[in-house]
Amino acid sequence: MLKVSNLVKQFNGASGKVTAVSDISFEVPEGQFASIIGKSGSGKSTLLSLLGALDKPTSGKIEVGGHDVTKMHDHRLIKYRGKEIGFVFQNYNLVPNLTAIENVMLPMEFAHVSPNERKRRAVELLDQVGITADKQKRKPSRLSGGEQQRVAIARALSNKPSLILADEPTGNLDSQTGKMIFDLLHDLAKSENTTIVAVTHDLSIAGKTDVTFTLKDGSLV
Amino acid sequence: MLVARASVSTKIESVKSSIGNTITISPAGSRGFEGGGEPLTSEQLAGVAKVDHVTSVTQTLSDRLTSTNTNLVSAIEAGSLGNRQAGNNGVGFQAPPADMPIRNETSTSGTGSSTQITRTFTPPVTITGASVLSTTTYGGDSITYTSGEAIDVSKDEDVAVVGKALAEKNNLSVGSTFTAYGKMITVKGVYDTGNTFSNNGVIMSLSSLQRLSGQTGQVTSATATVDSIDNIDSATTAIETALGDTADVTNNQESAKQAVEPLESVKTISTFSLIGAVIAGAVIILLTMVMIVRERRREIGVYKAIGASNIRIMFQFISEALTLTVLAMIVGLIIGVAAANPLTKVLVNNSSTSTTQTVQGGPGGARFVRGVGGNALSSARSVQADVGLDIVAYGVGAAALIAVLGSALPALMISKVRPAEVMRAE
Ligand SMILES: Nc1ncnc2c1ncn2[C@@H]1O[C@H](COP(=O)(O)OP(=O)(O)OP(=O)(O)O)[C@@H](O)[C@H]1O
Ligand SMILES: [Mg+2]
Repeated sequence: MLKVSNLVKQFNGASGKVTAVSDISFEVPEGQFASIIGKSGSGKSTLLSLLGALDKPTSGKIEVGGHDVTKMHDHRLIKYRGKEIGFVFQNYNLVPNLTAIENVMLPMEFAHVSPNERKRRAVELLDQVGITADKQKRKPSRLSGGEQQRVAIARALSNKPSLILADEPTGNLDSQTGKMIFDLLHDLAKSENTTIVAVTHDLSIAGKTDVTFTLKDGSLV
Repeated sequence: MLVARASVSTKIESVKSSIGNTITISPAGSRGFEGGGEPLTSEQLAGVAKVDHVTSVTQTLSDRLTSTNTNLVSAIEAGSLGNRQAGNNGVGFQAPPADMPIRNETSTSGTGSSTQITRTFTPPVTITGASVLSTTTYGGDSITYTSGEAIDVSKDEDVAVVGKALAEKNNLSVGSTFTAYGKMITVKGVYDTGNTFSNNGVIMSLSSLQRLSGQTGQVTSATATVDSIDNIDSATTAIETALGDTADVTNNQESAKQAVEPLESVKTISTFSLIGAVIAGAVIILLTMVMIVRERRREIGVYKAIGASNIRIMFQFISEALTLTVLAMIVGLIIGVAAANPLTKVLVNNSSTSTTQTVQGGPGGARFVRGVGGNALSSARSVQADVGLDIVAYGVGAAALIAVLGSALPALMISKVRPAEVMRAE
């Protein structure tokens, strides 16, 4: 379960303070798929980076599985990011000089999973997202955008996170591939009972999620 | 530079230890064969042997054999330089062979307008009587016997060993004889010093030469060896006190200093270049690492987003930098091994040339060069650049230092990368 209360994030821009997220509160029950929509600059990415502990809020509370993320020390935050959160980005963000399988194994390496188990789980996940054995050995530059995003989803799932955060995961893909990626995320979330928060511009995708939040100028509407 | 530095410092040590612990004793005021002073006596030198820290005393008596007291002919051709010098101080030189006129006199008697005298001669044969046979006695660094063997210098017999060049010139071999001081001397061996000048000598036992030349109990020079370089100054003073005004007592500290000085400067140069190279290397690595970290900001953000600690990422980048430096080091080592010797030689030779020239300037040419200073210098110049384990260890240390220094700032930059940056589009 994800619970956000009175979350505020301000940036010190060149022209004074910018409030990217202003006083947001919401809840997403465990295993549910939530979507966030809103115009460009409305604070969607900022909200996600706060949920994923990539950035610290100015004020407010984020609870994941009963733990207050905002009270965690740096050391715990690193563990939290590695084990409880899976990220999927619009531009995939795979490590360019690692192969697909190595990319999927990387978070497990940081979480000190044994090499054999890393390999087994990575192959299993890549098979699930439909990356064939020969493509598993390729570097990202030799994979299509859709394939890269599948690898990124497999990587996000590798440490069995309780929360997956996806920032416009279909934004760089054509609508058909985007739909396939969305279905993949949806199915995996259901089978592993993982909570998902996904930012999207695609209203047809948003319409199929369990709950949709709309952001406007940093506030929920 | 590392290699040059290490080989030079090793050499400095060895030069110091090899030439530093002997004391030369010569009759007061004497200057080689140019005379001066009264010869030392064996009794005086017996006292020297009792001085503290003196481990041994080598006594030598040198004389010149000329046509008046030997049938030996020198193997050295005087050359025009020698002829000119003979005109200046033609003392003790051999008479020319009979088929050559002593004087080419083109004088118009009576008018007395001009007289030209051209002297033709060959240098004398040096005969050395020694109490101990050492390289100094032979006058060369590597002594080999082409035939026969060394004489027993503790016995007083009419036997001698002769240099290779002299033996060839006079058709001498083991068992043949020559005359000196009116006696028949038997050749026991023929030696080769690798040096034509020294190969023109005759060596006998000290007692034999003292007897034959009528200089009983007399010695022209002696060398005292001291147990340790640290005691050399006190031993020198003690010997001076023992011998009083009769002898000049000098140790080789000065010549050692002279020989070592240019090496010290090479050492300083190499040390500074080494420090310079380490700093330059660190700066290059630093700039490269800064560039790499800036270029890979996003990747660093991704690592952080998927659960890597700062330390883990720094370790990753520094180990990459280390791999680079290790590779560079291996290449450097290979080049270093190949180039060290020639490079060190160039450095050492360039810096010691000036000193060599001042030492070589004495009258009479080559014979005087091969004095103590000359020996030390030539030995100091033959620096051998060996690449030993310690040098490799220093190299690895320097490379590690470079990598660590060059990685410090990039590490700081890594820790400052905000993980949220992965959210920003490229
Ligand atoms: N690091 C930052 N420093 C200053 N201002 C920032 C920073 N990050 C975001 N902002 C500002 O916060 C606001 C929200 O940005 P955010 O990236 O969350 O928008 P978004 O909804 O994700 O937009 P888009 O749909 O274009 O991705 C914007 O006005 C942006 O300029
Ligand atoms: Mg965004």
